[in-house]
Amino acid sequence: MELLVQQLFNGLTVGSVYSLVALGLTLVYGILHIPNFAHGALYMLGGYVTLTMMLLWGLNYWLAIVISILVIGLLGVLMERLVFHPLRKAPPIHDKIAAIGILLFLEALAQLIWGADYRTMSTPYGQVINIFGITFTMQRILINVGAIFVMVMLYLFLKKTFVGSAIIAMSQNREGAHLVGINTNKVAMLTFMISGGLAAIAASLSAPINLVFPGMGHLVVLKAFVIIILGGMGSIPGAIVGGYILGFTESLGATYISNDYKDLIAFLLLVIILSIKPQGLFAKGGH
Amino acid sequence: MLKVTGLTVKYGSFSAIEDVDIEIGKGEIVVLLGSNGAGKSTTFRAISGLSKPSKGKINFEGSLIGGKSPDRIVQSGIVQCAEGRKLFPQMTVYENLIMGAYVHRRKKTQIKQAVEDVYELFPILQEKKHDTAGSLSGGQQQMLAIGRSLMSHPKLILLDEPSIGLAPLIVEQMFDVIQKINKDGTTILLAEQNANAALKIADRGYVFESGSIVVQGTSEELYANDAVRKAYIGA
Repeated sequence: MELLVQQLFNGLTVGSVYSLVALGLTLVYGILHIPNFAHGALYMLGGYVTLTMMLLWGLNYWLAIVISILVIGLLGVLMERLVFHPLRKAPPIHDKIAAIGILLFLEALAQLIWGADYRTMSTPYGQVINIFGITFTMQRILINVGAIFVMVMLYLFLKKTFVGSAIIAMSQNREGAHLVGINTNKVAMLTFMISGGLAAIAASLSAPINLVFPGMGHLVVLKAFVIIILGGMGSIPGAIVGGYILGFTESLGATYISNDYKDLIAFLLLVIILSIKPQGLFAKGGH
Repeated sequence: MLKVTGLTVKYGSFSAIEDVDIEIGKGEIVVLLGSNGAGKSTTFRAISGLSKPSKGKINFEGSLIGGKSPDRIVQSGIVQCAEGRKLFPQMTVYENLIMGAYVHRRKKTQIKQAVEDVYELFPILQEKKHDTAGSLSGGQQQMLAIGRSLMSHPKLILLDEPSIGLAPLIVEQMFDVIQKINKDGTTILLAEQNANAALKIADRGYVFESGSIVVQGTSEELYANDAVRKAYIGA
């Protein structure tokens, strides 16, 4: 019983991180209809920027995260302006190639700047709490609370503000968005900024329980792709629910099936869900 | 109010419209007639900024708007209600209307009043305000599309085939509403294949054929024109 609760909590933690990453990916997909393969690089750089701020400038963890959000958000905007915007009239395959190009470039850049070593990020929240014989580390609680807070804020922004609704409107009908007077260029930039910011938050929250290294985004973003495919491409609830489904399955699978095959479970889940519901769990009707 | 001169729009090397001249006075209803692919929608796309004109001028209330971005054109007071409606299908009726007021997003009270005005024009939209746009019938979607365009308080509204695919009874209602919108002070440029109904409410009209204007005149003149009658009225 204790093991189960412990594993459910771990699943929740992992799921929170996956959801944040998948949300950024799904928002960009909704707007541009391209899978942004470079999203994993933004995640990785988010971890590095936070780490560097803490080590180099001795900044406090929270301040470092804020700077990381801003830097990676701006990097997202730059990516949109310099690469995806000029390609908007090109065939879709060009976007995909460009995204992979950005990914390779940013990873090589990270290796050049920080080296290929695995680094640890220290956290001011290393305490261990014991409730009913189950141990929680403060950092893991922080990941959950932080992720849920960010998701609620994002939901309120998208649902309750004009500018946020413009993102949703544009993903549902791009020409319709033009017709009501939405400046789609600005919305695209904003979306990339939010997407980058979300990746930075996810990386900064999870780095203390994982490690920071140039390839840290690979598996996470692959799984984020699994999540948005099984949740329905471009669907926001799909990204959140999908993230937690994957988190729970992985953590329970690691305990009760085999820890070695933990990463396989995501893709197994993808195969199963796609054979039952090929359009994804929360597919959008009619485009 | 709107003066289009020598407008040419090319898709690649193909001219979708060539050398089109249109003039609309304040308060008028002007109709563009023509079959599918004659160039009506392309003209609309150029006026509302969705397609870039390759030649010609579009003058709206003294300023040149040709080639400006769609959001700037909506801000200047021209809104297009496109064929195919271009609604936001997973948003509710109410949310769609609110998005229509995007360019006035800071004027909260004005938006509230505009929603009430649209509900008054189309009571069914008030009944269905919590339903998603995608779940509405074709006629209701058309009403919502017109309602959404009115939310931006346009001076000129471009209506692209509002009667397409609708039952005859609904078509009649639709044209009544268009007339009412016009009486409330909005100038209307209408594109239609249903010449019979359109000429009844229009002041003047232009007839498109393969990308150019071939006939123009007042509604009475067009109605009496043999070629127009044969091609578009079927009498």
